[in-house]
Amino acid sequence: MNGLYEFVQGISVWLMNMVGWIFDWITLHDVANWFRSAGVVQLLTNLLAALVVFIVGFLISITLIWQERKVLGRLMDRRGTQVGVLGLFQNFADGLKTFIKEIIIPTEVDEWVYNAAPVILIGGSALMIGLIPLSDAFALTNLSTGLLLIFAIFSIAPFAILIGGWASNNKYTVMGGMRAAAQLISYEVPLLLSVVSVIILVGSFSIGDIVHFQENNGIWLGIPLFLGLLVFLISAIAEVERIPFDLPEAEAELVEGWMTEYGGMRFGLILLSEYIRGYVACSLLVLLFLGGWSGPSFIWPEIWFIIKVMLVFLIWIFIRGALVRVTTKQILSIGWTKLLPLALVNIGIAVALKMSGVFH
Amino acid sequence: MGAKQARKERNLKPKGVLLRPLSVVIRETVKHTIHSPNTVLYPWERLVIADGYRGRPGLVMDRCIQCYICVKICPTRCIELVEIELEGKKLKRPQINLGRCMMCGYCAEYCPKNALIMAPEYELAGYTRQDLIYDPFKLVYEAREGCEVNVIEVKPSELHSGIVGTNVKTGKGIRDTPEVEDKKCIGCSKCEKVCPTNAVEMIQTGVNEKGRPIKRPKFDEEKCVSCEQCLDNCPKDAIKMKEVK
Repeated sequence: MNGLYEFVQGISVWLMNMVGWIFDWITLHDVANWFRSAGVVQLLTNLLAALVVFIVGFLISITLIWQERKVLGRLMDRRGTQVGVLGLFQNFADGLKTFIKEIIIPTEVDEWVYNAAPVILIGGSALMIGLIPLSDAFALTNLSTGLLLIFAIFSIAPFAILIGGWASNNKYTVMGGMRAAAQLISYEVPLLLSVVSVIILVGSFSIGDIVHFQENNGIWLGIPLFLGLLVFLISAIAEVERIPFDLPEAEAELVEGWMTEYGGMRFGLILLSEYIRGYVACSLLVLLFLGGWSGPSFIWPEIWFIIKVMLVFLIWIFIRGALVRVTTKQILSIGWTKLLPLALVNIGIAVALKMSGVFH
Repeated sequence: MGAKQARKERNLKPKGVLLRPLSVVIRETVKHTIHSPNTVLYPWERLVIADGYRGRPGLVMDRCIQCYICVKICPTRCIELVEIELEGKKLKRPQINLGRCMMCGYCAEYCPKNALIMAPEYELAGYTRQDLIYDPFKLVYEAREGCEVNVIEVKPSELHSGIVGTNVKTGKGIRDTPEVEDKKCIGCSKCEKVCPTNAVEMIQTGVNEKGRPIKRPKFDEEKCVSCEQCLDNCPKDAIKMKEVK
């Protein structure tokens, strides 16, 4: 039971008391007592906590989109987003625009799969938000296998991309989907191996334990495991399919890649889910290597966490602005000949540190 | 070839592919974040218009002599002379369909009296196509230095002689002049009536068998603007333009 649950439970107890008072007033005492019972309050608490965490993750993702558009704009000597204070509400305006667009389903698509692919993608992305804790107090869960679960869900997206591209019945989408699958086998192994080094040092799959380990030892794991940080940074960009590893999209070659046939709100949600995945990947990097929410206590730990996530994302934006897209051959070569040896060396460093007993 | 190859290979190393672009990007971002961006927030901010900016065509009502040169010269055929009533007189003045106008400025360039000018107005959007048809009163714009298009013209004979920039468009001797063919002319004096500048004068050259006067037009080169109205209205095609050399 942490701060988020206590706060939300207070709200739900108050709400259920109000509902119970109304039913008492119309003399339905049994119904009133049922609403006040512990089970109903607990159910409402869970739902409200999930809602709060989802909204917070959603807002952070939208802020990351804003950050990207603003920084890229400044890079190109433009102004970037314009609506609202500092352009913060531009994405809400764009979201509203995609929301009121007509839903068009091409006649030749495999309709069931075509509709299922965005659902899998968005559902998976939204599920990952719930598994990312912003601090000890602001967390939906602290599973003992949290890290494994996150990476398992992370790897569903290429599957959704593959079936979405296949079902769209368009040469560009099929090529995008195939590229997503080809990309998957190049980055997934180094990514997981770089995470393994952290797990070896900490000895736990729980994100909370990893952050506490860094707090207790007073050092960010990114410093001893710098190679792991580098490998994670590069393969996380490939995982989220951003430039320079945006092979499934490849705007210059494949129109819009695998999402060519998706329009309106589907396109908006897919785009949003990409940034949610970006947020999750950035926050994993922060949690594993940059000390998570630990920081000087003059501001809240949640704010520290978000600041770190935004700084990592800033590096991603610079990379997006600077680099060119690699080819499928090159990404395989980078993954297997450069990143994999680095990750293995990194595991060796982690094992050596663990054996020497520097950290406790 | 060798140097080019070497440059290519060097560019493919991590320093050329990764670090240099990244350093450029970060430097540019910081630079553009410190000073304000290049973009002009158009409806609220506007760029300063240069002197002699050519936007839509404008009309100076008093100068127009209804010579139809603008109607003839317009490449998109968007100019039409319409009848208007001004101070009790019925006049013909140009009406321009700005939906078709391409702002080339030929009308202002060829207007012999600088009645058509290029006004520095560029916000011309309207809600209907009818809004874009500017009648003479809507077209009026106050003449200013820089709005008038004065072209320095060169005669064909001067082209290779090295003389440049001596003739302005209102000057004498640089325009084609009308010429009457004596045999065809029937002396109807229609050219005198249609001439917008009163440059045609019917002069008696003799008497025919029945004792009636024979009239022939005489063209005043000072007044003539080469609008070819006499030529167009001649019933017997007796007038031709003599090319300037």
